[in-house]
Amino acid sequence: MSMKKIIGITGGALIALFSAQTTFAEEILKVGVSAPMSGAAAAWGLGFEYAAEQAVEKVNSEGGIKAGGETYKLELHTYDNKYNAAEGAKTAQTMLNRENINFIVGSIGTAPVKATQALSERKGAILFNTGWGKSIKGPDYPLTFTQMNTPFEILAPFYGYVKEQHPDAKTVAMITPNDATGQELEPVAIDTWNNLDVEVISTDKYERGTTEFQSIATKIANSNADIVDFGASPPTDVGSMLKALDVLGWDGVKVVPAGTSAGTLSKMAGAAAEGTYLGASADFTGDSASDVQKELNAGAMEKLGEALNGITISSYDAVMALKKAIETADSIDPKKVAETLPTIVFESSYGPAAFGGADVYGNPQQILVPVMITQLRDGNAVEVGRIAPAELKERLK
Amino acid sequence: MELQVQLLMNTLQIGSVYVLFALGLTLIFGVMKIVNFAHGTFFTAAALIVSSVMIWGVDTAGIPIWFSYLIAFVLALLVVCVIGFVVYFFGFQHVLKDLNGSFILSIGLLLLLNGTYLLLYGGVPRSIPAVVPGNVTFLGASLTIQRLLLMIVAAIITIGLYLLVHRTKLGLSLRAVAEDQEAAMLQGIPYRRVALYGFLIGATLAACAGALMATVTPVTTVIGDDFLVKAFIIIIIGGLGSVLGAILGGLLIALIESFGGYYFDPSTATLAMFVLVIVLLIVRPQGILGHAER
Repeated sequence: MSMKKIIGITGGALIALFSAQTTFAEEILKVGVSAPMSGAAAAWGLGFEYAAEQAVEKVNSEGGIKAGGETYKLELHTYDNKYNAAEGAKTAQTMLNRENINFIVGSIGTAPVKATQALSERKGAILFNTGWGKSIKGPDYPLTFTQMNTPFEILAPFYGYVKEQHPDAKTVAMITPNDATGQELEPVAIDTWNNLDVEVISTDKYERGTTEFQSIATKIANSNADIVDFGASPPTDVGSMLKALDVLGWDGVKVVPAGTSAGTLSKMAGAAAEGTYLGASADFTGDSASDVQKELNAGAMEKLGEALNGITISSYDAVMALKKAIETADSIDPKKVAETLPTIVFESSYGPAAFGGADVYGNPQQILVPVMITQLRDGNAVEVGRIAPAELKERLK
Repeated sequence: MELQVQLLMNTLQIGSVYVLFALGLTLIFGVMKIVNFAHGTFFTAAALIVSSVMIWGVDTAGIPIWFSYLIAFVLALLVVCVIGFVVYFFGFQHVLKDLNGSFILSIGLLLLLNGTYLLLYGGVPRSIPAVVPGNVTFLGASLTIQRLLLMIVAAIITIGLYLLVHRTKLGLSLRAVAEDQEAAMLQGIPYRRVALYGFLIGATLAACAGALMATVTPVTTVIGDDFLVKAFIIIIIGGLGSVLGAILGGLLIALIESFGGYYFDPSTATLAMFVLVIVLLIVRPQGILGHAER
């Protein structure tokens, strides 16, 4: 064989090999999570990360995301925002400037979400979040999407159910953390209680990180409120307050709109937590749970020892929404994906879901999934009510 | 009347731990003239050890709960003493009387130790059952027996420390060094050794507070940091380096937290503490029982 032929064959083989590699090369699409991985709200962050990991694994094992002639495999990056604005800003800098992440598939806490949003909107990155503040949505923030129900979706059906079960309850004492989440929740909660003819007799705030709740428990017990509404307090704090209330002999109706981690609450307060109504928890072992939710929940129980809830499972739903939007837009340009998100119906862990809420927020940026009302019974969250949003029903017709 | 008694009981419950924690911090400042921002990590270490050893002792080894707690308490103090010795030997002894150096070193240690705890224990808060369950009522005020025991033990430790500082040779050395290090050395007092003892006593006091609190509050890997801020407020109010000042400051802060939290709200009470510190720094910068810098 002549030298020319050898060079020709080798060259041809190399070109073929290079072309094949180019054809089958998989691009990596980084997605980020910013959540409290330590401290009182760590149970939320750990479950959130777990659900996102499962979604990423599912998307990748099913061939990744296809857009613009490329196939993208997802790569998850998780950061601890410690549930405060300063750490939220720090993690945002890392995600958006150092890692060049364009899709944040989950962020927990209104304060860190706001800190992240200040950068993500400027950088043109999509921010899925669980922030309960109304002010994070609207036409000024076109790249921000809320991935779970918030007070505007939860409070009316949740408080309504509680009032239905306890028609004699006439007064409520509110206690909530003194941060963006608590501050934005409080007025909505007061309005909603008032609409149900329940008088809010006291509203108190405490700093996150507080460890001693005796004085506030004394105040609540002394007020003889029929209901205590723990607002946006995380389960660890609610557990401490319930224990202190129990010592003082208070035995009224306990309501936690942000109530999620039934296991943590039960572990912290024991019998004092029994009967507590939870607005953002879920019974993912019951009949109304989907197969996906049951599977995710079982995995979380095995790995973390804690059941999933409305907050933690939402990172799975965000990844699924992102996949569908990217494939529909046929682009990984965050602006195009953001424009597509409100137009699609995607397969969430609850079943078909969509984004809407333009009537409330001025822009369709709110996920439409059922509100689940649960109650703590024998240490477990038991679903006692489920309300599907009217807008979603309309979209699915 | 019942309400006032309840609020006073709340004050004592909260104040007893604040006093213990702040005593360690003020002792370290008094003897070594350093600011230790890593002081809360001693508290955290003890609380984490107590929670994990107790869970193991009761659930796995089947040891009675009170005995598990006793083992956990002693182990927590020993481990914190070892941590204290290591950080003193490799760190703080090189920055004695150096505020800038100790500031940088202790912030670094805080990050390192908090990161290590997170790695070892994970972020999920831990809760342990009450060693002595049940409630008691005193003049119409209710509290758990566990909290009552905590207050008694904290009071005994505080009295013990007061006696140690004022009635023993070691205490005399500690006070002499705190008053004037060079004069103390001229009298033959080994400064570095006394500084080490002071540091270890301070770390042990933080460990006692952590080990006691672990039984009544959820334990996280950053729990000590929450107490650190309050402890700084306490020793600024009471007077840096003053044992009696730390006791007074601790009870005063607990009083504000208890009564302010009741009559206003917990956030307002927190704000009031900072306002008090600002006012005090303007009118009496050395604190209530502190000595003016000469």
